[in-house]
Amino acid sequence: MTDCGCDKAKAELEEYLHRELSDENFKDITEHLAHCESCTSEHLIGLTLTNKVRSACQEKAPEALRSAVLGRLSELKA
Amino acid sequence: MTLVCPVPESEVLSDLELSLMTETTEQEDPRALFESQAIPYMDQLYAAAMRLTRNPSDAADLVQETFIKAFQAFGQFQQGTNLKAWLYRIQTNTFINNYRKKQRDPYQGTIDDLEDWQIGGAESATATSGRSAEAEAIDHLPDSAVKDALQAIPEDFRMAVYFADVEGFSYQEIADIMKTPVGTVMSRLHRGRRMLRDLLADYAKERGIATPPPAKRQQVSGSTK
Repeated sequence: MTDCGCDKAKAELEEYLHRELSDENFKDITEHLAHCESCTSEHLIGLTLTNKVRSACQEKAPEALRSAVLGRLSELKA
Repeated sequence: MTLVCPVPESEVLSDLELSLMTETTEQEDPRALFESQAIPYMDQLYAAAMRLTRNPSDAADLVQETFIKAFQAFGQFQQGTNLKAWLYRIQTNTFINNYRKKQRDPYQGTIDDLEDWQIGGAESATATSGRSAEAEAIDHLPDSAVKDALQAIPEDFRMAVYFADVEGFSYQEIADIMKTPVGTVMSRLHRGRRMLRDLLADYAKERGIATPPPAKRQQVSGSTK
């Protein structure tokens, strides 16, 4: 088992995070992260950013919008 | 002399068949189907519309228009395919056609041409301990700071980040929604996230939301202000 190295890992962390790597590449990066503190800390920033953006962007549509949409739909012919 | 064309038997039958078919489609009721399938995405579409239009009133208008268009086109939607992505495609198109013109975006149109050096370094220079502190600082930021930072980055970057990180769409799905090649999606996503990260780091620094190095961390006397 050869480590893929920091250069490859750092270059692909974004795709790793977004689950866009092939199974083989995914495995390579996972293995590298298990042994590399530097890349793991970099990955952690990416993860934190994703989670933070996701939680900050939650919204609830106003009730008035919901009833306006349903009202407009009921006037339209299906 | 009148020439009467007798109605052929088969045509009567097909009329009957037609009325039977109409009855069965009425039973399915596209309106009920639409309401049960599409309306549940309203919160999500509204959240995305807020990030696009930057204000609640335009966001509500955009969402309403999206649902009306989607309803009118619902017959073209292929059941079993990704309804959420389909709705987002309609909303994104509607936004581009009706709202984008109204807004001033200093980067509009040129942003994909910006070189990386104009946007910021591709790699944080900090060591591991600095990165842990950075992650922790991001984690402690208020939601408002994250939203402000999102508003501050170019719209195409913002939406790529939004679709990937909030909605969890694949690169291919984002490419379909934004009508760009996958490579462009990747570039917008990477650069958008890089800008976001830099903006949040600046914000944290300004507000003094920096975490002490792990070794020294204890109950930091909380100045309540």
